[in-house]
Amino acid sequence: MLAVSFHRNLRAFALAACLATLGGSALAQTLTLAMSAQPDTLDPQVTAATAAFQVGKSIYDTLVEVNQAGEIVPALAAAYTVSDDGLTYTFELVETTFHDGTPLDAADVVATLDRIRAPETGSPKATEFQAITGVTAADDRTVVVTLSQPAPALLATLASGWGAILPSEKLAAGHDFGNQPVGTGPFRFQGWVRDNAVTLARNDAYYQGAPALEGVVIRFVTDSAVQLQGLLTGEFDVIDTVAQADLPTVEASPDLELVREPSGLVLVAALNARRDYLSDPRVRRAINLAVDTEVVMDVAYNGGTQVGTFMEAGSPWYPEAVEPFGYDPEAARALLQEAGVPQGLRLDMALPQPYEEHIQAGQVVQDYLRDVGIEAEIRIVEWGVWLSQVYGGPFDFDVTVVGHTGKLDPSGRLSGIGDPTRNYTGLDDPELVELIATANRTSDPEARADLYERALVRIHEQAPFLFFGTPDRIYARRANVDGFWMTPLLDSFDFRQATLR
Amino acid sequence: MSRYLLTQTLSFVVTLWAVLTLVFFAVRALPGDAATILGGLDASQAQLESLRGTLGLNRSLPAQYVDYLGDLARADLGTSLRERRPVVRVLLDRLPVTLTLAGLAFALSLLVGGLLGLLAGLRPGGPFDRATLLFTTVALAVPEFWFGFLLILLFAVNLGWFPVIGLPPQGLTLAATWNLLLPAVTLAIPRAAQLARLARARVLEERGSDYVRTARSKGLRAPSVARHIAANALPGVLPLVALELGGLLTGTIVVEQVFGLPGLGLTILGSIAARDYPVVQGVTILAVTVYVLVNWLADLLQLAADPRLRAPS
Repeated sequence: MLAVSFHRNLRAFALAACLATLGGSALAQTLTLAMSAQPDTLDPQVTAATAAFQVGKSIYDTLVEVNQAGEIVPALAAAYTVSDDGLTYTFELVETTFHDGTPLDAADVVATLDRIRAPETGSPKATEFQAITGVTAADDRTVVVTLSQPAPALLATLASGWGAILPSEKLAAGHDFGNQPVGTGPFRFQGWVRDNAVTLARNDAYYQGAPALEGVVIRFVTDSAVQLQGLLTGEFDVIDTVAQADLPTVEASPDLELVREPSGLVLVAALNARRDYLSDPRVRRAINLAVDTEVVMDVAYNGGTQVGTFMEAGSPWYPEAVEPFGYDPEAARALLQEAGVPQGLRLDMALPQPYEEHIQAGQVVQDYLRDVGIEAEIRIVEWGVWLSQVYGGPFDFDVTVVGHTGKLDPSGRLSGIGDPTRNYTGLDDPELVELIATANRTSDPEARADLYERALVRIHEQAPFLFFGTPDRIYARRANVDGFWMTPLLDSFDFRQATLR
Repeated sequence: MSRYLLTQTLSFVVTLWAVLTLVFFAVRALPGDAATILGGLDASQAQLESLRGTLGLNRSLPAQYVDYLGDLARADLGTSLRERRPVVRVLLDRLPVTLTLAGLAFALSLLVGGLLGLLAGLRPGGPFDRATLLFTTVALAVPEFWFGFLLILLFAVNLGWFPVIGLPPQGLTLAATWNLLLPAVTLAIPRAAQLARLARARVLEERGSDYVRTARSKGLRAPSVARHIAANALPGVLPLVALELGGLLTGTIVVEQVFGLPGLGLTILGSIAARDYPVVQGVTILAVTVYVLVNWLADLLQLAADPRLRAPS
């Protein structure tokens, strides 16, 4: 009896060993990426978190998408037309199937866009869809979207992660997309162990052609030192964060490659215009002149390009006429004196934890402000507290540092600026609000660009922020990784063309 | 015995209720809620309000509290605001990692700490005793996360015996239990040191007792004497062991963070940051239950280890 069971165990063991080796060879074509943030949910309609869309990009598709050059190109919609009045968009769908085998049709798009606009869904991105008055299926493959007013930003919204198309059958059944995402994307969802990893497998039926990789593993690794160690040992193929101190290590290693490209971030120190003295644009401009933002960018953000208004450097929307403020402490002191700011003015500087880079930037700003007679007192604030007390609600700060992520369309970036009820800077400028609102609904590209330019010049003059700049997007990969890229502005991971040599 | 069980159960329920009430209101006293976190920089006030409605956060605190206790009475721990699935599932997914880690660490600390203490105490002032003293001093002086980093650097980075990141993508598997060895050692080191010190002191105490002298004068061999000493030193060590077992849960929070292990420690940190109230409360229930159970177990073991406690008074 004992012998029999022993043999049985031995056989089971041998089988397991065989399976293990098979698994090993399959893993060779699996790319592992380590990212520092992690999604809370993979339902694209209930979150605003970049991490969710970075992962979701491989699982879901959108009607249109952003290519490597940053242009909006057809995706699930093979073609689309916009009516002359800008009020009707017609999309022709490609032939493809969802991961559960159901074919994509117009009803899926209708159900998807209906759900994200429904208040009970609670999507933080719902406002971007508010111009839509109706979504209908003209036939199986044709979707018609009608608008209440022209919304040139609509395509940008549909190209973003929150425009992901979900299967209508599963939507009707109340499927849990947050934990079991189903889309048409290049990879099928396989598993998710929170705080650990998401596992994806190739979708052989992908409409743009199956990806070369058999699978992708996205690992959640908060510590940048651990990310680098994993990249060095080969546990990870790509890491999304490289600390400044580690840049030389990566650059020196023949096995690793450092990627440095423009990001879509605008880094700023917001100045609360509700407060004494800061309500005076002269004081806000003086603060811009008092700080050498090149040093801020170098010390806190691994370098980058300075900006002089609320638009990322290198953007086609960035106005040529606007230069960064430049470092001129003499002019700053003169302006402060003119505005009647007393020597030793105390300002409350709230800095969000755990964002070490913003805290560091705040410390640099503190030094520069002391030079012109302003005492900024640093207060470290936990992120949740920051969101509710500083960024929202009581607006409890004089100065605070944060980064605003990239937006495909300027309307997203400029939303609320100039309206103290909708923006934390508290800038009260109805003329600016009107400029932005007009631009948002102007279809003619040239007139629109002109309006945004005027708005951005005005933001430079009003200086509701101490403008820092746009950092480089820095990540690293092993030298044998080809074809991996990150979507401009949206920062999503794109594994579709990736291969491991 | 049934009277004992009844009072113990009652005290457990009261303890649980008190701690849970404290946590319930404390976590809600933190500024910000799950909606502000999910909404981030983009959501408007109106959207945050509708999100609060969806998540059930816009009702009054007393109403939420009463509802929560009602659900709890029906053994329903609620739904995670962040993961949008039952809290029970969230906890069950994470529990194996933390339990295995804590179990390994406990066994290691018991084995190493007990053995070191006993051997050091039997030959006080000898080279082994002095080496043990050195080990315990260092182990208690250095914070455990530092040991963690050191072990990672040596065994994972330099020697490559372990992966730098805790577990494989699919989480805890039988084969991956090996990966928990470094974190378990990290967790065990200070606890073994504490145990070693107490065990040594207790052994020294027993060593001077009359019965040991008697045993020796009777010509009993050293191993037999040591066995008697160990048996008598045990009851004095047990309370500390129970205390440590309870403390292991808090220890895992630090160690899971250092090693990136997807256990309850990371869950509690993440759920506080995300204002995921139901999960914070769920972990609290779990922690209190473990604490109380461990203390009961310690009481029972004490009874088993010390015959005098069993004697009728």
